[in-house]
Amino acid sequence: MPIRTAFKTEIEHVSILDEHGQFDAKLGAGLIPDGDVVRLYEHMSICRHLDEVAFKLQRSGRMGTYPQNMGQEATSLGAAYALDKTDWMVPCYRENCGLFWRGLPMEYVLLHWMGDERGNAIPRELFCMPLAIPIGTQMLHAAGLAWAAKYRGEKQIACTFFGDGATSEGDFHEAMNFAANLDLPVVFLCQNNSWAISVPGKIQCSAPTIAQRGLAYGMHSVQCDGNDVFAMVKVVRDAAKRAREEHRPSFIEAVTYRLGDHTTADDARRYRDQAEVELWKTRDPLIRVRSFLKERKLWNDSKEAELRERAEREVSAAVQRAEGIEAPSSNDVFDHTYATLDPQLLTQRETLRTNSLGQESGRRPSHAQSGGAH
Amino acid sequence: MSVKQPADKSQFLLPDLGEGVHEAELIRWRVKPGEMVKEHQILAEMETDKALVEVPSPWAGTIRELHGKEGEICIVGKVLVSYEVGARAAAASAPAPRAAAKEAARVEVREPARAPAKDAAKEEDAGTVVGTMSGQLSIAERFGRRQESAAAPARKALATPAVRRIARELGVDINRVAPTGRGGRVTAGDVQSAADRGGRGDARQDARGRDRGAVAEGFSPKSVPIPADRPPADADGVVERIPFRGVRRKIAQALDLSIKTAVHFTVVEEIDVTDLLAKRSEYARVLGRKLSLLPFVMFAVCRGLRKHPELNAVVDDPGEAILRKGPVNLGCAVDTEHGLMVPVIRDADRLAPVELSEAVRRLAEGCRSRTVAREELMGGSFTVSNVGSHGGMFATPIINYPEVAILGLGRSRERVLVKGGRFYAGTVLPVSLSCDHRVVDGAAGASFLATLQSLLEDPEKLLGG
Repeated sequence: MPIRTAFKTEIEHVSILDEHGQFDAKLGAGLIPDGDVVRLYEHMSICRHLDEVAFKLQRSGRMGTYPQNMGQEATSLGAAYALDKTDWMVPCYRENCGLFWRGLPMEYVLLHWMGDERGNAIPRELFCMPLAIPIGTQMLHAAGLAWAAKYRGEKQIACTFFGDGATSEGDFHEAMNFAANLDLPVVFLCQNNSWAISVPGKIQCSAPTIAQRGLAYGMHSVQCDGNDVFAMVKVVRDAAKRAREEHRPSFIEAVTYRLGDHTTADDARRYRDQAEVELWKTRDPLIRVRSFLKERKLWNDSKEAELRERAEREVSAAVQRAEGIEAPSSNDVFDHTYATLDPQLLTQRETLRTNSLGQESGRRPSHAQSGGAH
Repeated sequence: MSVKQPADKSQFLLPDLGEGVHEAELIRWRVKPGEMVKEHQILAEMETDKALVEVPSPWAGTIRELHGKEGEICIVGKVLVSYEVGARAAAASAPAPRAAAKEAARVEVREPARAPAKDAAKEEDAGTVVGTMSGQLSIAERFGRRQESAAAPARKALATPAVRRIARELGVDINRVAPTGRGGRVTAGDVQSAADRGGRGDARQDARGRDRGAVAEGFSPKSVPIPADRPPADADGVVERIPFRGVRRKIAQALDLSIKTAVHFTVVEEIDVTDLLAKRSEYARVLGRKLSLLPFVMFAVCRGLRKHPELNAVVDDPGEAILRKGPVNLGCAVDTEHGLMVPVIRDADRLAPVELSEAVRRLAEGCRSRTVAREELMGGSFTVSNVGSHGGMFATPIINYPEVAILGLGRSRERVLVKGGRFYAGTVLPVSLSCDHRVVDGAAGASFLATLQSLLEDPEKLLGG
């Protein structure tokens, strides 16, 4: 028997508005109406300002550890724009821009990083999961949510976000395997920002693309410019269609870059070449959209100044709302995870409220009482 | 560690600048007393053990006092900056002389803290948040707003039940007592001082004022006639007090650990490098640049370690094991203005002398400009220290623990030498090898030196074969 090729493939890379401002008119035609491009740009700018303010909130002790989103705004925003309002968005922790597009008020994210559980009590109607800090857990949640939607015969899909580092976790492979073999409507969106804290992508994935990892599970896989909001909209829209109509999962590797430190507890200057950062600053997702809009006379300097003011006003209002909220109660730990609390958790909640930790409550709460799901 | 800031915005306590950071070195103030600052304006640059960071002001206000000098270590939870409060904050354009201002401020804080007047209309103007937020989703709508009381601070004191009981018995409102205990706890002493002062909550300001006074008054050294050519010293002869900080402190800690753990012994040898120097000049001519002896010695060390693997090792003290290393990761002590640093050349045994020289140059530059990566300062298996570049003959080098041996090079000099009963002039390199006797016996150390000597005295053997 002669040797034959058992399998052959290629990975496509999608770019529509590149870092030089070159726009692929054919691929980009009709993708996003002009008015929406303006809104997307405004959105990214406000999100960027929140990022700067949040950083300072941490440094002045007003907030806990915070991971800056700077440089990655287009990735989650393009995805959120392409999804339906009732599709699940299952984020990691660098998807502020997409979450805000879905309508999540900024103070939720601030409260989360202030260590306040109420920041995780995402309003149900937004179909967003809370931020996921342990690397990799959320991909399994997304597979589960998609499985539930399919089981109920709903047209809902799930889109989950994670970094390049997460693709080295076991949970990632479990989620991918389930989604591919059970035909689940999931979009796996990898934000490949080149650095898993201080570990460069090169030394944790020996293949030339991370997208190949999706291919290995038999799902459609594509790479795109994660700093190009147009490319993001296109690839997520295609993947969402595939999920909704064929119940097939997809894998997207969005190539982007973390312009800031991993978190406020990190100093990337210690392990990252400044020349690399400077190069990526020229590929900033905001710069190219601004020049796209200016070229089409949809944007000018006075609009930019107005936007700057608006960003300051909205962010400072969000900070005021986050800091001005009534002090948290120990009940918050219990009240937002389960629709109904089981008797044991009810006892714990009551014990924590009425006694010091570790002491038994004298009075056991009635089992009929249920934890309110907000 | 969470730091609760006083509600009256009179003081900014140093927050945890990273994640579990307990202290930070004050590098530089960026503001001055009397200066009006905006929210988020940078107050100071500080260095934690993780990063060099800028510390912004958490609110707008006028700086009353900066607590701490540049170069000092500041503790998380202690006052970093104090601000003018109440009426003074408004009239701060002409700051009074320092002492008077302090006194005035001390009196002033006894008045009920007045919250800065809030522009109600502004607070209501939440703006249209990006996206499609509806009023119902707003966190304030869902979870309510904090009830702000104009008079008393909203702080709820942290205290043990015993201390609470003392407060009750003494009729002290514990929520108004300034805490000095761990993690911001009110101690029995705090309650007692507050009670002595009449049960109201001025403890912090008074206690702080008193502490500050004591330091200033008790610190007047006697003036002694001093010759003009000598810098002024205090009674103990101290001219300058240099805080043990930064790189210096790290060096001290590392050396202390080494000398208290490893059992040091040192063997020394004189090596005739006359022929090697001739060979080196040949290299330099071909390369067209200067070349020191160091890379050749390093090259010989790598060859020697291949033959004496017991010296290319680290000690795992907690695990009670000796870890012999395959590759030679060669540490190279570098003198910088901040102090001694030891960058590591990975796989030095795979490099030729010229490559070693390149690696030393690159790492030394990195150390001096402080751009060297943390990883490049770790993981050595043997260290070479060129102490002789400043003079001196032999040394007793301290091992770069947990490594087990270190080679110190003295200054090479011309000598009259004897070989086969005849005198000749040659150049001698004095070397000193310190080993951890727990791992390396005297015989092993000495025979490593003998190997090194035979390699360095015969360049053909060293570089040819």
